[in-house]
Amino acid sequence: MSFEPKIVGFLCNWCSYTGADLAGTSRIHYAPNVRIIRVMCTARIDPTFVMKALTDGADGVLICGCHPGDCHYSEGNYKMMRRYPLLKQMLADFGIEPARVRLEWVSASEGQRFADVVNDMTQRVRELGPSPVRTALIQDMAER
Amino acid sequence: MAIRVNPKLIDELEVYGAEDVQNCYHCGNCSAVCPFSENPYIFPRRPMRNLQMGLEDKLKGSLEPWLCYYCGECSEECPRGAEPGETMMSLRRWLTAKYDFSGISRLFYRSGKIELLAVIGAALLTALGFVLWAVLRGGSIYSYDGPNAFLPAESIHIFDWVLAGVLLVLLLTNCTRMWWFTMGRDKTLNASVGLYLKKLYALPLHFITQKRYAKCEKKRPWAVHLVLMLSYLIMLVLIMFFLAGMSASTIDWRLHVFGYIATVGLLGTTIFALRGRIKKSEPLYAHSHETDWIFLILLIVVAFTGILQHILHRAGLDAAANLVYIIHLMGVVPMLALEVPFSKWSHLAYRPLGMYFSLVRADAVRRVPEEAAQPVIVTQRVVG
Amino acid sequence: MEEHKIGVYVCMCGTNIAKVVDCDDVVRTASEQPGVVCAKTYKYMCSNPGQEMIVADIKEQGLDRVVVAACSPRMHEPTFRKALQTAGINPYFLEMANIREQCSWVHDDKQVATEKARALTLGAMRRVANHQPLERMSVEMCPDALVIGGGVCGMTAALELADGGNRVHLVERESTLGGNVARVDLTAPYLDSARDLMSSLVTRVEEHKRVDVLTRSQVSSLEGFVGNFTATVETIWGDSASVSQFKVGNVVVATGYKEFDASRVTYYGYGKLPNVITSFEFEKMLRAGRVQMKDGKLPQYIALIHCVGSRSKEFHTYCSRVCCMTALKYAQEVKSAIPSCYVSDVYIDMHAFGKGHEDFYRRGSEAKTLFLMYGKNDHPVIRKAGPGDDCDMLIEVNEKLSGETIEIPADLVILMVGMEAREDSEAVARLVNISRDKDGWFIESHPKLDPVATTTDGIYIAGACAAPKDIPDSVAQARAAAGRILARTIRGVIDIDAVFAEVTEDKCSGCRICNELCPYSAISYDADKKKSSVISALCKACGACVAGCPSGAIAARHFTDAQIFAQIEGVLA
Repeated sequence: MSFEPKIVGFLCNWCSYTGADLAGTSRIHYAPNVRIIRVMCTARIDPTFVMKALTDGADGVLICGCHPGDCHYSEGNYKMMRRYPLLKQMLADFGIEPARVRLEWVSASEGQRFADVVNDMTQRVRELGPSPVRTALIQDMAER
Repeated sequence: MAIRVNPKLIDELEVYGAEDVQNCYHCGNCSAVCPFSENPYIFPRRPMRNLQMGLEDKLKGSLEPWLCYYCGECSEECPRGAEPGETMMSLRRWLTAKYDFSGISRLFYRSGKIELLAVIGAALLTALGFVLWAVLRGGSIYSYDGPNAFLPAESIHIFDWVLAGVLLVLLLTNCTRMWWFTMGRDKTLNASVGLYLKKLYALPLHFITQKRYAKCEKKRPWAVHLVLMLSYLIMLVLIMFFLAGMSASTIDWRLHVFGYIATVGLLGTTIFALRGRIKKSEPLYAHSHETDWIFLILLIVVAFTGILQHILHRAGLDAAANLVYIIHLMGVVPMLALEVPFSKWSHLAYRPLGMYFSLVRADAVRRVPEEAAQPVIVTQRVVG
Repeated sequence: MEEHKIGVYVCMCGTNIAKVVDCDDVVRTASEQPGVVCAKTYKYMCSNPGQEMIVADIKEQGLDRVVVAACSPRMHEPTFRKALQTAGINPYFLEMANIREQCSWVHDDKQVATEKARALTLGAMRRVANHQPLERMSVEMCPDALVIGGGVCGMTAALELADGGNRVHLVERESTLGGNVARVDLTAPYLDSARDLMSSLVTRVEEHKRVDVLTRSQVSSLEGFVGNFTATVETIWGDSASVSQFKVGNVVVATGYKEFDASRVTYYGYGKLPNVITSFEFEKMLRAGRVQMKDGKLPQYIALIHCVGSRSKEFHTYCSRVCCMTALKYAQEVKSAIPSCYVSDVYIDMHAFGKGHEDFYRRGSEAKTLFLMYGKNDHPVIRKAGPGDDCDMLIEVNEKLSGETIEIPADLVILMVGMEAREDSEAVARLVNISRDKDGWFIESHPKLDPVATTTDGIYIAGACAAPKDIPDSVAQARAAAGRILARTIRGVIDIDAVFAEVTEDKCSGCRICNELCPYSAISYDADKKKSSVISALCKACGACVAGCPSGAIAARHFTDAQIFAQIEGVLA
C-alpha cells in the first residue's frame, strides 16, 4: 500500500474554515488527508501546536488564514506571518523538511482554492514520505 | 496648435434650425446606428462635437453633412433628445449659406420672411415682366400656341436657357467655393487630377440613383425622393428641349406619357412630403425650417399650375391656360433663380459633389508614399 | 483527568453523510473510547426529535459532555448549544465534528471518508473532555452618547439619539455648528438652500433639552470600553479653558473632511492667477449673491475643472464623489445669475450615480453648458490670455470626445477641489482607538455589511470622515449609527461574549508583550501590581496574546492549549 500522509490543518474560523465549508457545499472533491482543527484566528496558533502535531504523527501541518488586510481581527494574520519564518527555521534546524509545514491564505469565498491547496500539499508531503519525526518515534518505541 | 473653442457658434446655428445640440453627451449611438457612417467619415457625432465646440473652420470644410440623407434613425436612437438628424440638416443649411459668395443665401436662411419677400417680389416681377412683354409684343391672351401666343414657346425657351445659364454660373461658383473649403485649401491633401477623374463616376451615379439613400432601414424616404427627383429631371428635360412640342396643339404621345408620369410623380411626392411635414409623420419631417416650407410650396404650385395649364389648353380654354401659365412662371422663376443657387435647391449639386469629394479625399488620405512601400525580403529556412 | 460522561451523536443527515461515511462504524469506534456513555446515529440530529433525543439522554444518563458529528459548526453549533442549555448543562460542553462539508461532501472513497470521520470525531471527543463551563457576562450600558463633530452628520446623529430618549454630548471644535455644509449656498441636485437646511438643524440641536452642545471644544481623552466610557472634553475660548468629564456608553465620530489645497496643483495657477478660485471660494460668492472676477467685472466665460486633487496619481487616487454634481450645480447657478455667460465644464468622467443625478446632468446640458473631457493623466493647463483676446485666461485641453487639442476662453476658473482626511484625523483615530486606511479615512467594521461600526465596540463612524460622501449618505449613516446605539442602550445592559482571554495573574511576568499584540487595546496594565489583565468586555478572543505570551499566562477560553492539544491527539489517533 502506498504511503498516504496524515496532515493536520489549522484553519481560522472567519475565512479559511468558511472557505473549506464552501468547498463542501460546492461539492468540490479534494484529497482526504487533511484533518481540520478550527481556531478563531491564525494569531492563536502557537508554534507548539505545530510541534505537537508533528510529534503526534502528522506528516505535515497546513495553516490557513485570511488574506493579509482581511483579517477579521484586523492584524491577526500578520502576527502569524511574523512567527512563520522563525518556525520554519526552527523546523529546518530540527531536520524537518520545511515543505511539511505550510501557510496559505484562503478567503471565505475561495472553496476551489482550498481544495487546490489541500491537493497540492498532500502531493508534496506524499513525495516527501513519512515524517522523520514519526519514523524516529516509531523506531524509538520499537527499541523500548 | 490648439484650436480656439467658440461657444457662440451654437447660437448662430439655432437660426438655421439646430435644436438641443447641447444635450448630446457623446454616447455615439447615432453614429453607430447610421447606415452611412463609416471610416473616415463618422457622423453625426463628430459634426455634433465640432458644432458644440464651435470649430467653425472645421465645420466649413466638412463633407459629413452631405453624406447624410436624414433617415432620422440617429434622432430616434438618441437617448438625450439632441436631434442629431436635424442638426445635420441645419449644418447643410449653414454650409449652403457659407458656400454662397453673395451673402443672399445667408440672408434667406436667417430670415424666412426675407426669403418669402424675395420670392413674392421675384414672382411679381416675373408676372409684370412677362405680361408687359406679351402686351408690348401684341400677344393675345386668348392664344396659347401659334403665332399670336401670349407666351410663345420659342421665346420662353430662350428665356429658360438664359436663366439656366445664369443659374449654372452662380451654382458653379458656389460649388468651386465648396471644393475650396473642403478640399482645395487643405494642404495635407494629396489628391491628383487623376484621382479626381477616377472617382468622377460617383457624380452621375449618386445623382441619378441616390443609392446611398437606399441603405437606410426605412426604404420609403429613398423611394419618395427618387421619384420626386426623377420626375423633376424628366420635366426639366421636357421643358428645356421639348417646350415647343409640349405647348403645340397636337402633342406627341411620348411627350404626353413622360409629361404625365413626371407630373404624377412630382405632385404625388410633394403632396406626400407636405402632408408629412404637417403631420410630422417621419423624423425628417418633424422639424421644418421656413426654407423647407417655401421649397415645398413652390414645387407644388409649379407642378400643379404646370398640369393645370396643360389641361386648360387641351380643353380649349386658352385664356385661362395663359393665366395659369403666368402663375406657373411666377412660381418657376423664384424657384429656380432663388432656390437653386441660394437655398434648398442647391443640394442637388452639393450632395452629389459631397459624395464625390468624400471618395477622392478618402483615397488621397489613404495613399502611402511610394518610398515606404518597399517589399521586405524574408529568408525562409526549410526545416527538414 | 476528570471522569466524564460523554454522549456521541453521529448524524446521517439523510443520505448527505450516510451515503459516504459509515456512521455505524464511527459510532462503534466512539463507543470503544473511555468515558463514552452512549453513542448513536440519527437521521437528522438538528431536527426536533433529534435534539429531544440529546436532551433526554443528558437528563436520563447524566451526560456532561456532548459530541455531535454532523454538519459544520457554523451551521448548527447554536442549535445544539441550546439543546444542552435546555437539558440543564452548560452550553459550552458541546463540540461538533464537521463530517459533512469537510468530509462526506468532498470525498467519494467510503473507506477513506469513514476513516477521516472517525479521526475528526475522536478529535472532538478528546477536546470536549477539556471544555470548561462558561457564562456570558452582562455589564451596565450607559445610555448617554458622545457625538464628535457638529456638522450635518453629527447634528443628525445627535438629534436622532436625543429624540430616542438618550442624553447626547455634542462636541464641536469650531465656535459654531454647521461644518462644511454651512459654507454652501445651494445643494445639488434639487437646488435646495443649504442655509435653510442647516438653520433648522442647528436650531433644533441647540434647543433640544437632551443635547448638550459644547462648541470650541475638543475631546482630549476617552477611556473605558463600550457601555462604560469616560470622556474628557476641553473647551477653550479666548485665554481661558475649562475641562469637563462625563460618562457615555457609545461614541459617534462625525468629524467630516477638509478640502484639498489647490495651490498644490501648480499647473492650474491657483494662488498666482487671480481669477482661479476653488469651489468653496465660489460658494462664498454665491452666498453673497455676486459672481464676479477679481477686478469686479462680470465674467463672460466661466470654466469648471473637475478632479482637482482627486483621481490622480500625484495627489489622491480616489474620487471625491460630490464634485461632479456640484460642478453641474455651479453651471446652472451661473446661467441663472448671468444668462449671457458661457460655461465650460472640463471633466474626466461624469459621476451621476445618485437619485436625481442623471436628470440634473441633463438639465446642465440643456442650460447650454459645454462639456469637455480630459484624460486622467493628461490634465488641462491654464495660462493668461494675450492683450488681444476677449477673455482673461485660456485653458488648453487635449479633448477626448473630439480628439482635438483645444483652447477654452475663461474669465473665471473654478477648481473642483476634492475631499481629504482632516489633519487631526490621526489624533482622533488614536483617541477613540479606531484605524485609518491609506488615505486617512476611518475604517469601518465591514465595508459592505457593517459601514458604521468599527472594530472597537461602542465607537461608530458616520459621514465624510469615513470616506467622501454627499449629504444624503452622511445623514443616512448618522441615523444608522444612532439606530445602532439606540438598539443597544434600550436594553440597559450589554452582553459580553463568554469566549475571551484571561490572564492568570500569578503567571504574568509583566513583560507587556500582550498589550501591543491586542488589536482592540483590550489588555490593560496595572503599573502598581506590574501585571497585565484582559478587559473581557473588549476582548474578541482572537488569541494573538495567548500565542504571544512567553509565560503562557494568558489562556483563551474555549480555545485553551489543553483543548487544542487534545484535539490534535484525537485527529491523529
